Amino acid sequence: MGKYLLRRILQMIPVVLGTTLLVYALVFALPGDPVKAMFGDKPVNQAVAAQIRAEYNLDKPFIIQYLLFLKNALTLNFGNTFAGQPVIDEIGRAFPVTIKLGLMAFVFEALFGVAFGIVSGLKKGKWYDSVILIVSLLLISVPTFVTGFLGQYFIGVKWRILPVTAGNDPGFIDLLMPAMVLGSASMAYVIRLTRSEVSSNIAEDYVRTARAKGMSNRSVIVRHVLRNSMIPVVTYLGQDLGGLMGGAMISETIFNIHGIGFLTYQSILKGESNMVVSIVTLLTLIFVVCNLVVDMLYAALDPRIRYA
Amino acid sequence: MSEMNSNNEKSDKLFEMQREQGPILEVKDLKVDFTTGNNHAVHAVRDASFNVYPGQWVAIVGESGSGKSTSAMAVLGLLPGTGHVVGGSIKLEGEEISHYTRKQYEQILGDKMGLVPQDPMSNLNPVWRIGTQVEEALKANHMDISHEKRSKLAQALAGGGVAVKSEDDETFIGSKELPELLKAAQAALNEAGVTGDGAKNKMDYFTKEWVPGSETRWRVADDLIKAGVSDDKAWQIAKQYVTGSTMTDRIAGLLEEAGLPDAATRARQYPHEFSGGMLQRALIAIGLACRPDLLIADEPTSALDVTVQKKILDHLHTLTDELGTAVLFITHDLGLAAERAQHIVVMYKGQVVESGPSLDVLQHPQHPYTKRLVAAAPSLASQRIISAKEHGENADALMEHHAKGEETLEKSEHIITVSHLTKEFKLPRKKEMFKAVDDVSFSVKRGTTLAIVGESGSGKSTVANMVLKLLKPTSGTVTYEGKDISEFEGKSLLDFRRHVQPVFQNPYGSLDPMYSIYRSIEEPLRIHKIGDKKSREQRVRELLDLVKMPQSVMQRYPNELSGGQRQRIAVARAMALNPDVIVCDEAVSALDVLVQDQVLQLLNDLQAERGLSYLFITHDLAVVRQIADEVVVMQKGKLVEHATTDEVFEHPQKQYTKDLLDAIPGGHLQLGLD
Repeated sequence: MGKYLLRRILQMIPVVLGTTLLVYALVFALPGDPVKAMFGDKPVNQAVAAQIRAEYNLDKPFIIQYLLFLKNALTLNFGNTFAGQPVIDEIGRAFPVTIKLGLMAFVFEALFGVAFGIVSGLKKGKWYDSVILIVSLLLISVPTFVTGFLGQYFIGVKWRILPVTAGNDPGFIDLLMPAMVLGSASMAYVIRLTRSEVSSNIAEDYVRTARAKGMSNRSVIVRHVLRNSMIPVVTYLGQDLGGLMGGAMISETIFNIHGIGFLTYQSILKGESNMVVSIVTLLTLIFVVCNLVVDMLYAALDPRIRYA
Repeated sequence: MSEMNSNNEKSDKLFEMQREQGPILEVKDLKVDFTTGNNHAVHAVRDASFNVYPGQWVAIVGESGSGKSTSAMAVLGLLPGTGHVVGGSIKLEGEEISHYTRKQYEQILGDKMGLVPQDPMSNLNPVWRIGTQVEEALKANHMDISHEKRSKLAQALAGGGVAVKSEDDETFIGSKELPELLKAAQAALNEAGVTGDGAKNKMDYFTKEWVPGSETRWRVADDLIKAGVSDDKAWQIAKQYVTGSTMTDRIAGLLEEAGLPDAATRARQYPHEFSGGMLQRALIAIGLACRPDLLIADEPTSALDVTVQKKILDHLHTLTDELGTAVLFITHDLGLAAERAQHIVVMYKGQVVESGPSLDVLQHPQHPYTKRLVAAAPSLASQRIISAKEHGENADALMEHHAKGEETLEKSEHIITVSHLTKEFKLPRKKEMFKAVDDVSFSVKRGTTLAIVGESGSGKSTVANMVLKLLKPTSGTVTYEGKDISEFEGKSLLDFRRHVQPVFQNPYGSLDPMYSIYRSIEEPLRIHKIGDKKSREQRVRELLDLVKMPQSVMQRYPNELSGGQRQRIAVARAMALNPDVIVCDEAVSALDVLVQDQVLQLLNDLQAERGLSYLFITHDLAVVRQIADEVVVMQKGKLVEHATTDEVFEHPQKQYTKDLLDAIPGGHLQLGLD
């Protein structure tokens, strides 16, 4: 187990290096000159521009720029934005907001997804099973920006239940609707996964054996149906948590939340390669760690899985 | 008093008791329906009636789909899917239970009725430890884990005779007190003047017998008294040191009783770490954990090797006898049923067609279906051959296959020769290699059948795979028509594949579910580029005729066919290229007796018509008797015996072969020849 863990952690190094290089190259290849963009409508002062280029290493070849970024990143110096702010400070401001939003969406998705999935799977064919199935199909097929706008219009504007946008430093109430919108598609997946797992597990032979022991219906369901159904569901949820942390770009833009997704979007527009690459590195790390945790959880939940 | 007498006395008493108490289970005119998608009712069981008396073994026999398992599940209230009881009555200890709700069933399941299910692999939850799953049964019925519960039958039988035992005398040994108990026993033996080897033997016996969570106080006292310790001293020791077991002890005790060695450690393992036989033992422990008066055993050993099957059934028999548990035993093998049960109920298409004492049913079957079952049961067939020979009659008529005499075998040329074949596998985390096949040599003669027999793990399938060139031998050679098959490649390999064809064990897995039957049979022709589209279709029709399947199945898919039909398709596919050799790897093991019989007959006819040679891999010696000319017995990768079929059956040389022969169900039945 220890050896396996070490191997997995070492595997993270090439993954992180590869993604940063790729993203750096993509940002570098973007059309437009970030320095020119900084001057806006004003005429470009060549001397100042050259100075800025030198300061941000923009005058050097691509690969040198990348290596310089890496060298600095190793000492946790991620450089400054063009406006002179340290990148790390900007991320430090935006990230807690995204974490809050992601966790809220995650709780929403896990709680309701599993609950509806169980109800649906145990009572297959009943009318509420059909309703749950249709709603989940709708949520999967409708894109986030549509659910987002619909939510804003009805819940925010028409009925005035929840705030329409979140803005700076949002609280729990401000983030409620964005979190639900963000988690809705995943919740629908969780419902369907749970439902199919529960309804196939309940027909297993060992469930019958458990009933033949004289166990109560409740403990048969909990110990033999739900316990086994949760293995793939937990695995899916774990992987999705990584996605929620980085995949909030659309929701954050719609609801004007100044989180990581919003920041990434702005930075790409401005060609802030340092910022974009730093964020992506962070997200990659989160994703890889989430995957590792999922694999560990999988082994903990299913005794047949052993890593060596 | 001789043992014979006491046995008679016991069984007399048993009968008297059974008459007095009436049946423990009384099923009368039971009707079970399944509702299909369009509200159409399928009658799975129609007017079935049978009784089970306390302490009795009753077998329900029939092919799959006969309603035997459905009847059993109806009794347990565990009918699958849309199944429900629509008529008749089920009485347990005189109480009508067919209308019980799930809650009411929860009350009687486990402690009044237990289940030992069919497939050990799928009947234990893979995520819980074995011990936990035993514990669930004990907890669900609030079992007293420190005292033995005696069945009604045992109580009634004990009645006046045996000294009445109080509740306390049924206290289990605990693992904590065991060392002290043994020490005290040693001291008591010394005191009683038992020394030297005698004392050592006694102590060994105690150590072996006194299983925590299974042996009780009065047995300890009894053992001590028998060993020569005075009554008072024995009871004093038993009372002082036998003070009840913990949950862990009881679980281990139950598993130990079911025949699982080293049970305390085993209880902490997960199902995937167990073999099929061990899993079945765990399921027996679960079924009997709450000491039910009725145990329903649904084909408890059908998925297991014959030798393991025998061990487990022997064990179950002793155990249920000791506990006084009645058993409703579901099986498709009439021989097995007759050997184990006192009473047989034969079911066919949802109805009970015959019922009576085992030997009566076997020797004088009345219903045509029962007659067919008796004729088809391989165990009984080989039994008939043996007894005909013993009576000096001509047994040829009884054999489907006319074994070639030794002379013919000597003369015929060798089509496949295996010499010094060895296969080693690397085991994970182990340095030394595992020898799956160890220096095996034999040859298959043209137009004859050679059977390889052995338990699972004996390496017989590995040999088959090497003969088929699906696996590379570590050393040794296989030659086909005098040529080393390891040198075949490209065109010559294709040619070899054309002439040597396999039929595998699982007809469900060996046909591609996405291919129509036509495509499955036509595929080898297409691969070997034989004929055009039209002639290939013609050939497929011929092949279907050959295996006696209607041509209308061509457009159907494997899931629409039964196991036996699929196996015929597999045979047709193997025959498509006109091979010389067919390697049958457990080709009939998964099939019902009647279907098994049909497929064996088909193989025999094909051999007679086309002079095919078979390499027949099986664990079932009874089948071998019917089909093989020569037998190779394998054990742990080694060839232990090689002779003609008659030789092996009449004069087995090795103990292992004798054990295998002994394990054929029904082998000890006295069959009348009529």
